[in-house]
Amino acid sequence: MTRAETFTKYILGFLTIFVVIALYAPIVLTIFYSFYKTRKGKVDWDSFSYEPYTKLIFEKQILESLVNSVYVGLVTVVFSVLIGFYFANYYHTHKGKMREFLQFVIFLPFLLPPIISGLALLIFFREVGLPRSLNTVVIGHTIFVLAIVYKIILNKLETLKPSLMESAYDLGANKLQAFWYVLLPNIKLSLVIAGLLAFTISLDETLITLFLIGDDTTWPIKLWAKMRVGFSKQVNASVTLILILTTTLVLLIAWIISKSEKKIMY
Amino acid sequence: MTNIINYFQSSIWTIVSFIMVTIIILIPLLSFLSYSFFTVDNVEIIHEFSLYNFKEFLTGEIYIPTFFRTLLLALTVMIACMITGYPIAYFLAMYAHRSKYFILLILIIPLFMSYIIKIYMMRSILGYSGLINKLLMMFGIISEPSEFFLYNQNAVIITLIIILLPLIIIPTFTSLEKIPRNIIEATYDIGCKPFQSFRYVIFPISLPGLIVGAVFVFILALGDFVTPQLVGGTSGFTYGKIIYSNFGMAFNWPFGTALASILLIVSVIIILLTNYLTRKT
Amino acid sequence: MSSILELQNISKNYGSSVVLKDINLSIENNEFFTILGSSGSGKSTLLRIIGGFVKPSGGDLIFNSKVINEEPIFKRPFNTVFQDYALFPNMNVYNNIGFGLKIRKLDPKTITDKVEEVLSIVGLNDFKKRMPHELSGGQQQRVALARAIVCEPKVILLDEPLGALDAELRKQMQLFLKDIQKKIKTTFVFITHDQEEAIFLSDRIAVLNNHQFEQVGSPKELYYNPKSKYLASFFGECNLIDGTVDHINSDIITINTAFGKINVKNKYKNISQNQNVTFAIRPEQIFLNQNKDNNSFSTKVDRVEFKGAVTNIILNFPKNIKIKVQINNAEEQIAINENDQFNIYFDPNFGNLFVND
Repeated sequence: MTRAETFTKYILGFLTIFVVIALYAPIVLTIFYSFYKTRKGKVDWDSFSYEPYTKLIFEKQILESLVNSVYVGLVTVVFSVLIGFYFANYYHTHKGKMREFLQFVIFLPFLLPPIISGLALLIFFREVGLPRSLNTVVIGHTIFVLAIVYKIILNKLETLKPSLMESAYDLGANKLQAFWYVLLPNIKLSLVIAGLLAFTISLDETLITLFLIGDDTTWPIKLWAKMRVGFSKQVNASVTLILILTTTLVLLIAWIISKSEKKIMY
Repeated sequence: MTNIINYFQSSIWTIVSFIMVTIIILIPLLSFLSYSFFTVDNVEIIHEFSLYNFKEFLTGEIYIPTFFRTLLLALTVMIACMITGYPIAYFLAMYAHRSKYFILLILIIPLFMSYIIKIYMMRSILGYSGLINKLLMMFGIISEPSEFFLYNQNAVIITLIIILLPLIIIPTFTSLEKIPRNIIEATYDIGCKPFQSFRYVIFPISLPGLIVGAVFVFILALGDFVTPQLVGGTSGFTYGKIIYSNFGMAFNWPFGTALASILLIVSVIIILLTNYLTRKT
Repeated sequence: MSSILELQNISKNYGSSVVLKDINLSIENNEFFTILGSSGSGKSTLLRIIGGFVKPSGGDLIFNSKVINEEPIFKRPFNTVFQDYALFPNMNVYNNIGFGLKIRKLDPKTITDKVEEVLSIVGLNDFKKRMPHELSGGQQQRVALARAIVCEPKVILLDEPLGALDAELRKQMQLFLKDIQKKIKTTFVFITHDQEEAIFLSDRIAVLNNHQFEQVGSPKELYYNPKSKYLASFFGECNLIDGTVDHINSDIITINTAFGKINVKNKYKNISQNQNVTFAIRPEQIFLNQNKDNNSFSTKVDRVEFKGAVTNIILNFPKNIKIKVQINNAEEQIAINENDQFNIYFDPNFGNLFVND
């Protein structure tokens, strides 16, 4: 390495550290404020307390919104993985222009600004007379995460050799048996990864949800509403808990990916 | 005979698939587009074809300037993300060796962390008595707290960069990481100095990844309406915020839709253009 | 001829694992020099040290009597043809080849002339607008070679360039490489694990084994006078017959083997009475149906392998020793069947003796 290169390396390293700090600053502050009080912009270092976390039990609204978010997330996972698998399998087993067209349409809600997907569904639901509720939110989330789920499953399907399914049929398996005993075990990790990712995204989706939620609230919407009056320490505490949850989920996904990659290597 | 059955089966699935995406994605998008040609009378939506909304867009005093200001804002965010994100992706792919995936993970995690909270907390970071002002004063760079950072365009730009930056790092890193080691060695072998190797080979190969990330950032920045609402103040008025306001207080869905459909057209053009550009290389 | 590139006591280790130790080598100007070794022998590392991609742990690399250990890659007058070609995917064939000249800031006219010239040498004039991924393996190989020779390097380093090609194409490319090397008169340092390829292409070969050179010499030297038992069987097939030295006189050594006494011409200095030795002789150096007083043995045919131009006959000797004899089908037109009785004869002029420890 030349001296200029070593110099570049250190500069880029410092930039990376700086960016990591910038990305985490808002998050770290939130966690900090859930434990400490501030008075007139000054931190009161003696005010450490985890009381907000225990008090959270009495915050019915926050808890309810959390439950709603988890419900929406779970149903979204089920729908998006089923539909995502269906289309991935369709793309994988068919040829022609149609599959390209379907793929493009599936990608649209993910590629377009969320405000457009949100508006389109809002208007659609109004026209067909479907009242806004958590269920319409589920539909919105499913359409939004579908592209990611689809892509993850399709990538996995493309790595499988065609002979895999052919040999299953050759050995006398019918379509269902071939799916259950051969295809599913081979792609199940990708389904898990896709599902976890869908859940993580759904949990925090705000822009589409704002249009579709109606009178219910999910957790991000509750935060949005609370923001006007300022955050209580209990809100900060709930944020901290959700942060722990999403971080765990992302780490879990990363762990599964790294494991399944090793599996391919051997 | 089996061929015919197979063909029939396969076309059934094709039809089913087509109907599915039509119902869940295409019809909503089409009904959305059709709304932009409707008008509103008090609180009633009049389902009759009219170009009134588009006329309003063209003649109204604020819409076109806001549209271009928002384009400029999204462009600024995009360029800032490219300038910051590319070197980081480069650092990870070329110099971080074994810890590259770990650092990448650290950079990605904030992407999944509460969007609202990040914006909210940026207020207490950028504000008059916020973290940035305190730090700048501590180091003696400014003597008075600055109002440069909150409730204006700058705040919107900074916040969007913080939120969207990871999106550009991921595809750029992927395209840089895919460059085989020996292609880089070949550039040196042929006589390139490190910078020439970067300029003529590494950068062109990684460009599609950078473009994909940049387009993601651009489109999301263009359509965002929560960030300007929370940190933008009055001068941070963006196109997305105008669209959103037509669905709240103003209650003029057709007009909001018309504004949004212009956003849609711009986005689709950008997506198709990107697709074309990145496929060619 | 004078030496262009010299390696003095080059060694390389990663931590405690040794890859190369005390490599000494002198490569002549304009020769086709091959480094031959099995995978993991360190041959690629050696080439990468010459190219400047890897720093040696010790020793000197000398080019035209100048030590170039610290010379960065881009300043060395060498060019490499990489194993998987390493063509730049963002440039077409023409730009791939012209890239090195562009970097050297030659004027466009010169670049065009040189690239066109090299294109016609490698026979790719019709493909200059193609992108690398639109080319076949053999064509990519030619582009890689063209890209290296257009810069007119003093030495071209080739890192198993034919490894990825199928057998037929490989033969074509071997001929092609040999032609090119004659045409452009440049030193080639070539790496392979394929003995036949090495013998066919090279002026000289260095065999790398156990991190060191086992022998350096012309293909004929290596084939007929290998310095070790390992080399004897490494280059082509070889019968290895164990025995002890019975007696020695000035021009003949007689050894005792499981099936009788064999006389071998004495060209050795290190062999003494009663030593354990191995007699190595190639299948085509054994003669059939020549009944002489000495060195002649009779036995049964175990197996016959017809190979087209030649036939291999495997003979069964006592103690389960198998001897392979190769006959040229054009010369010896005899029907040989399993279980036939045959006579073979070892000419004392052929074969080599190796002392066993």
